[in-house]
Amino acid sequence: MDSDMEMELESDSDEEFNDDYDYYNTGEDCDVERLDPKRADPEYFEYDCLTVEDIEKLLNERVEKLNTILQITPALAKVLLLEHQWNNHVVVEKYRQDANALLVTARIKPPNCNKDQADAASTSAAAAAASTTTQLAKMGSYKNNTSNHSSSSTTTLSTTVSPQYRSQMCPVCASSQLGDKFYSLACGHSFCKDCWTIYFETQIFQGISTQIGCMAPMCNVRVPEDLVLTLVIRPVMRDKYQQFAFKDYVKSHPELRFCPGPNCQIIVQSCEISAKRAICKVCHTGFCFKCGMDYHAPTDCQIIKKWLTKCADDSETANYISAHTKDCPKCHICIEKNGGCNHMQCFNCKHDFCWMCLGDWKTHGSEYYECSRYKDNPNIANESVHVQAREALKKYLHYYERWENHSKSLKLEQQTIDRLRTRINSKVMNGSGTWIDWQYLFNAAALLAKCRYTLQYTYPYAYYMEGGSRKNLFEYQQAQLEAEIENLSWKIERAETTDLGDLENQMDIAEKRRTTLLKDFFPLHA
Amino acid sequence: MANMAVSRIKREFKEVMRSEEIVQCSIKIELVNDSWTELRGEIAGPPDTPYEGGKFVLEIKVPETYPFNPPKVRFITRIWHPNISSVTGAICLDILKDNWAAAMTLRTVLLSLQALLAAAEPDDPQDAVVAHQFKDKHDFFLLTAKHWTNAYAGGPHTFPDCDSKIQRLKDMGIDEHDARAILSKENWNLEKATECLFS
Repeated sequence: MDSDMEMELESDSDEEFNDDYDYYNTGEDCDVERLDPKRADPEYFEYDCLTVEDIEKLLNERVEKLNTILQITPALAKVLLLEHQWNNHVVVEKYRQDANALLVTARIKPPNCNKDQADAASTSAAAAAASTTTQLAKMGSYKNNTSNHSSSSTTTLSTTVSPQYRSQMCPVCASSQLGDKFYSLACGHSFCKDCWTIYFETQIFQGISTQIGCMAPMCNVRVPEDLVLTLVIRPVMRDKYQQFAFKDYVKSHPELRFCPGPNCQIIVQSCEISAKRAICKVCHTGFCFKCGMDYHAPTDCQIIKKWLTKCADDSETANYISAHTKDCPKCHICIEKNGGCNHMQCFNCKHDFCWMCLGDWKTHGSEYYECSRYKDNPNIANESVHVQAREALKKYLHYYERWENHSKSLKLEQQTIDRLRTRINSKVMNGSGTWIDWQYLFNAAALLAKCRYTLQYTYPYAYYMEGGSRKNLFEYQQAQLEAEIENLSWKIERAETTDLGDLENQMDIAEKRRTTLLKDFFPLHA
Repeated sequence: MANMAVSRIKREFKEVMRSEEIVQCSIKIELVNDSWTELRGEIAGPPDTPYEGGKFVLEIKVPETYPFNPPKVRFITRIWHPNISSVTGAICLDILKDNWAAAMTLRTVLLSLQALLAAAEPDDPQDAVVAHQFKDKHDFFLLTAKHWTNAYAGGPHTFPDCDSKIQRLKDMGIDEHDARAILSKENWNLEKATECLFS
């Protein structure tokens, strides 16, 4: 993790350097010296970890920009941006093309009203919207505004035409009140102030903020922020409203993502909207920037979701197969796996075997690790439905077992690291080497975890892959990675007897295999 | 808040009482207690539907936050309909959930439920068994719905075949409602229903 961060900092400063002193870069050897991290590392990802205040500032800037361009209120601008993924250009363009249509789709105006104003569409739409928002849609003023613009007044107005002093009946609380107590949106449905207020509070209480709509049946005109904030006085409810609205704004912004870490307030921002790993700088949670779930390269967001749902659905069967113990294939003694490596040595008969397939470890060889490949039954088409169903389950279990196995190994390797720490401690105490001398072991363990993590996520990918040469290639690379990881795991567990150079060599090979696989199959680059 | 709920309900109660539908006997409403928090509604099965001729009783509970939250409505009369649970009477209707609007009234709710009886939405089911029958075995659905209307809502059509099958199961010690439910589910196949009950 740390090395990742360093890499990033380095590359950042590199770029700055490039920007500022471009002429240094004209030398021929510069290209060779400085590999572009974007091309060299398939997992390279540029992002910022921002606080709520930073994001509020950023969003407000967008809102202000739109205000000045279109001369609309901040509340209206927020709604329009929310509906258009905070893309200013799209909003401005749509507004210039057909302001009326834009306001209807954003649910600021009701559909098919005021058709008579085609001539002054944009101005009256802007005025109507502005009046609903700035002047709080106060019945009188709103009504006056619209009738000024259109001589042929709409039919809806006839029901609401009432001077401020004349009393009027609120359809919600069924009480008569003076006209100036009434508020309405662009749709003209007017309700009394108290009803609006209670309504807003019940909606906010249910977690609804930017999507609060008009109280009339079948009317989905949206209530803009400023009307809510004028009528809702209680500070608790106002705060809640603003929090919920902020969440909606961030969620609608494709370049922003809440850190999924528990109680973490950080929001990650990146211009590159892809399924890459972001690591929160505050709580150090790593996650996929695109979907917010655990990072899952080389599998893409939809597939991993499908896979995880499938695993959750089939959990009973999966529980059954993921039993923690297996029998030694030679002496049949019951063995519990307590380390990350799949190369098992029976403590009883000293037989070396593979935990996955229970085959002899010697036949696994270093050339080709057969055990990660699922072999399709070639006669499947001729078999009965029953057999096909069993075959499908067998296929799923094959991939699930490996997925689950790596996930468990990852956890077990954390214990290995803890054991490593105590071992190193005692070594340092006994005077054999210093703490720094043994640091490389931690690096090796971190790299092992990283590789195993990627390997774990190759299994859902393979499960959903169509058969063919590409799948063969994938499974070949997967097998290679699997073999190298097992070697590495074996060597780390027996670190004292392993040569340092040998271990570093193994680390290098494993990481190379991992990046090669990601480069070839990580969907972003396909 | 509760005050507003009560004043609204009182007014809506009057609205229903004065409405045209009450004259035509197609909807009805009455009070259950003095606190105005629970009412009993009744709707007539719409014409040209398997529910025609039946009277369906509804339980209407008015929440504290009414009218800003919808009333809780369920069928007390058992009914065979894709959007209504044949077991609990729970209703799947948008205006009783997300699409509720504070300006809606009891009268609109009752009329919407009547409309729901006339136009089922099997793709958005409350009762999956009924919805499945509605889509795949529509004839059986019509038969079952008419039979249930007769058995529970006083509908005019009688089905001696259904009754005799229910009697057969009753003779085996099965409760009448359970027998009707299982036969309805199994498209009135007595053998399958028996198998289902005793396996």
